Amino acid sequence: MGYNSCFDIIGPIMVGPSSSHTAGAVWIGRAAFELLGGSPEQVEIQLFDSFAETYQGHGTDKALLGGLLGYDTEDERIKLAYDLAEEANLTYTFTFEENCLEYEHPNVAILHAKLGTKKVVIGGASVGGGLSKIFRINDEKVDFTLSTHDDLDRIIQSASELVGQ
Amino acid sequence: MDIQSTVDLLEYCERENKTIAEAMIDQEQEKSGRTKEQIFEMMKERLLKMQNAVDQGLTDSSTAPSGISGGDAVKMKAYIEAGDVLSGSIISDAMACSMATSEGNARMGVIVATPTAGAAGILPGVLFSLKKNTNLENDDLVMGLFTASMLGYIIANRSFISGAAGGCQAEVGSATAMAAGTIVELKGGSPREAVHATAMAMKSLLGLVCDPVAGLVEVPCIKRNVIGTSIAFSSADMGLAGIESRIPCDEVIDTMYDIGKNMPRALKETALGGLAITPTGQKVKERLFSKTGLVNQLGGGKDHASNNHGQSDSSVEPIEAGRK
Repeated sequence: MGYNSCFDIIGPIMVGPSSSHTAGAVWIGRAAFELLGGSPEQVEIQLFDSFAETYQGHGTDKALLGGLLGYDTEDERIKLAYDLAEEANLTYTFTFEENCLEYEHPNVAILHAKLGTKKVVIGGASVGGGLSKIFRINDEKVDFTLSTHDDLDRIIQSASELVGQ
Repeated sequence: MDIQSTVDLLEYCERENKTIAEAMIDQEQEKSGRTKEQIFEMMKERLLKMQNAVDQGLTDSSTAPSGISGGDAVKMKAYIEAGDVLSGSIISDAMACSMATSEGNARMGVIVATPTAGAAGILPGVLFSLKKNTNLENDDLVMGLFTASMLGYIIANRSFISGAAGGCQAEVGSATAMAAGTIVELKGGSPREAVHATAMAMKSLLGLVCDPVAGLVEVPCIKRNVIGTSIAFSSADMGLAGIESRIPCDEVIDTMYDIGKNMPRALKETALGGLAITPTGQKVKERLFSKTGLVNQLGGGKDHASNNHGQSDSSVEPIEAGRK
């Protein structure tokens, strides 16, 4: 399912405990960080299905916040993300839902993030091994694979025009 | 070049007279445009991170923030050092290294996903045991990681590697299958023997559900990683003996996909079935997350699971002794 490199299989280097629920979630948060050009002031995070059921145990919540703070998957600050979000004046809400009707996968998060006058909505599914699929940016359906910094650059390049002022 | 089946893989290896690891490097060069040396160094970085995780885990007897794992790698190491191990040094060392990695993962330590974090113990387990017990060195182990990634690449693209999508068979199953083929190649077996070992390992774990207690990658995940190493060695020994899987490897992988698709949602990492809903599993969940009902109102759940590094959450009582 879209694995392209040996480093999608052996990797990422990451803080535990789950590649799909921690590392993949960091990338989804990170996509929002990059598109906003910084940590949001406010974010609403929707978690679906397996993400909603098991986020506490996997640190999915901390991973998403870590990504929103601009961290990499191996950044040991992720486990302190709640405190660090507070320090960065990032306010957040989490909501929990069953299945995501927009994208069929058990590990879906949709982030609605704001920084100043910029707003971005990111829909992402973490499909395993730390690899995520970005399926929505604002109201556009997109299909980006995200597991490396190169992927991130590609997304910013082709999607920055979607981020409204 | 994009190898999508073990049939393609064996055709390539046999035509070009290459190992599986070399085939992976060839493909990576072609797809990424990086040089062989760059690719090797990137993989070596991962091996060294794995080594760190093993070294740390073998000396860290602290409990995970959840209170439900930790300290067993140190126990296993002491048991091995006492010198009367039933399964021999190669398997018991693999067990200890695997446990060290998976316990570190539960502590939110740095690990390398192989192919996932939930299954991150198996490959380091077999690799660092081979290093300790045979004459293989780090550069050989790096080549082993290329063998493993090619096998994992085929599995991931034909089927799945996450417990949420396909159950534990997709995580521990895939990692064990990758490790089995890797051991064969590191021992000088042919690509064909490696692929048969991969198939035999995966067959042994078909149907395994993902049922983590409280949704944590700890119970039963850590011990499944440990036992995955011995299945990998058994399958590798069969492969090296010339024993073949009667069902071809690609068909085994496709079966894993079919089984995963048919597996109920409760048994795919939702913590709604299996061991997660045993009386003890439920009790753990209640203790750990008794405050989560408040998460929405509190706007984020600052209240729960404050996973301070290396310290037990003081609100968490230890799991009952009877659970062990």
